[in-house]
Amino acid sequence: MTHVVRAFLAYLRAAIGVMFQYRGEILLWAIWGLINPAVLYAMWSSAAEGNPGGEAAGFTRGQFAAYYFIIMIVGHLATAWDVYEMGYMIRTGKLSPLLLRPILPIWKSLAENVAYKIATLLFVVPMWCIFAWLVTPTFDTAMWQFGLGAAAVLLAAALNFILGYVVSLVAFWVTKLDALGEVYFGLGMFLGGRFAPLDALPEPVRWIADGLPFRWMFAFPAELLMGRITSQTEALAGIGIQAAWIVCIIVAFKILWTVAVKRHAAVSG
Amino acid sequence: MYSCRMPQSLPDNTMAHIEIDNLSKTFRVPEREGGFRASIRSIFRRKFREVRAVDHVSLSVEAGEIVGFLGPNGAGKTTTLKMLSGLLHPTSGSARVLGHIPWRRESAYLRKISMLMGQRQQMQWDLPVLDSFLVHGAVYGISRQDYRKTLDQLVELLDLGDVLKKQVRTLSLGERMKCEICVSLLHRPEVLFLDEPTIGVDITMQARIREFIANYNRQQGATIILTSHYMADVTALCKRIIVIDHGRLLFDGVLSDLSERLAPFKVIKIDLTKELDGYDFAVLGHVLARDGRKVVLRVPKGEAAAITARLLTDLPVLDLTIEDPPIEDVIERAFANRLEQVDDGTNAPAPDGKGAGS
Repeated sequence: MTHVVRAFLAYLRAAIGVMFQYRGEILLWAIWGLINPAVLYAMWSSAAEGNPGGEAAGFTRGQFAAYYFIIMIVGHLATAWDVYEMGYMIRTGKLSPLLLRPILPIWKSLAENVAYKIATLLFVVPMWCIFAWLVTPTFDTAMWQFGLGAAAVLLAAALNFILGYVVSLVAFWVTKLDALGEVYFGLGMFLGGRFAPLDALPEPVRWIADGLPFRWMFAFPAELLMGRITSQTEALAGIGIQAAWIVCIIVAFKILWTVAVKRHAAVSG
Repeated sequence: MYSCRMPQSLPDNTMAHIEIDNLSKTFRVPEREGGFRASIRSIFRRKFREVRAVDHVSLSVEAGEIVGFLGPNGAGKTTTLKMLSGLLHPTSGSARVLGHIPWRRESAYLRKISMLMGQRQQMQWDLPVLDSFLVHGAVYGISRQDYRKTLDQLVELLDLGDVLKKQVRTLSLGERMKCEICVSLLHRPEVLFLDEPTIGVDITMQARIREFIANYNRQQGATIILTSHYMADVTALCKRIIVIDHGRLLFDGVLSDLSERLAPFKVIKIDLTKELDGYDFAVLGHVLARDGRKVVLRVPKGEAAAITARLLTDLPVLDLTIEDPPIEDVIERAFANRLEQVDDGTNAPAPDGKGAGS
């Protein structure tokens, strides 16, 4: 394990080094990640203010501000791109050198993922502050909700990374994954409560969202952090569900990885 | 099928580092006719073809050997190396390298081997060279002391001192190739798979890389399998060669033996003091070239001495040399003969590949 930690830290340092080489590019990606929730906040807050009760889907304008402020943060911390990258790595043979190393390639992906989040903090934290100052979110968060919410955000990030990586393994069968990547992203937007809070969706859709991992990657930590989940039992159950998903997906990864690597055709060269 | 004897000059007291038995790999590749109609048809019915890239290959490589793996493009060389390095699972057959089954990809195995695939990037494109070396050291769990010692040696041997702080993307191809070799050897692998290690670099650099590989083999006792399209690589480094084509072993033995069997000729190059019009060189041998005072003849090896004597007697010779045919020609003949054998069905290799191995 010490060896894996040492390798991970080396990958992390190298990845941060690469990101700082491309500061402008990283800044633009970070800005792109903020635009989507900002636009959706503008849309939903207009809807709330236009309604007689000043609410839409049970949210006031200030609550929408809080919701999308947290979604902005969670979306950034949970972002992962392996589902787009793996097909390219396999198609171009870039995965082969990684497979020859005595450590699973997922550690390199994880290091790059964490590096992106560390390298972008300098840019995104001021932007988050400016957004919060502009939209004046309404929080109703107790300390326990904040503590559990912070844990939920970390679990959400882990869940999104590992699920994205497992989905990316489909590339060993179909090679080109761009469309699947879009479907995965779309499901995360819709069933994860990023397009709209899940309360705004019809009940059958909410059931589906409850049964899939996407809600636990975005909507759940956001609802918890803004103080919308008031029951500690419900909050702890949600965290338990996140942890259970992570364990199940790690098991799925271990099985699928073995099968996938057997299929690997090691193209190019 | 040419005889596949064990080479005459193997290291003593050796044990097999690499043992392959009936190894085969078949790929299922999609194919269709060209054109728009075929493109539409392929939406509903995709056709696949089975391509046998490696066909019942059996061989054994002893500790400390350098073996040249030769064959035309698509012969199955790289596929074999990929199976031996654990990148590919075989369709059938077995292999053991350093006692490990390669495609189990055990961490202990991957630490003992290295595969250098031409210009394949192991280096971090956007970072200084040293950063890639540091990552490699950490990934392979090399102690800081060993890392420093090995790196210093490699940097000196490969003359890398000036490039260590340069960004990889700013390096010349030759510098990058040397860095790729350096990073491949930092963990001191016991078995090296070198797939076209000198591809794309100039002649001077090729010679330096060859010298370095020979030194590494001598000093570390590493077992090396090398593929290359440059015959100079093979002749300089490999006593033993394995020729493969269409996935099957054609020859396994010493290089001179291959030349003896496939090209029992000598090439006589004559430089005359003056041009001669009436002399019939064709009765002596096959005229490969004739340009003014210079003539190149290919003659049967057994008759070379007699023909040389006759040439010296008959003609005003300024200079005369007798050479073995170029190895490129020998290899070319090996592939041509193989096709003829398959065509007439007489000497095609046994389906089980026995007899192909050494």
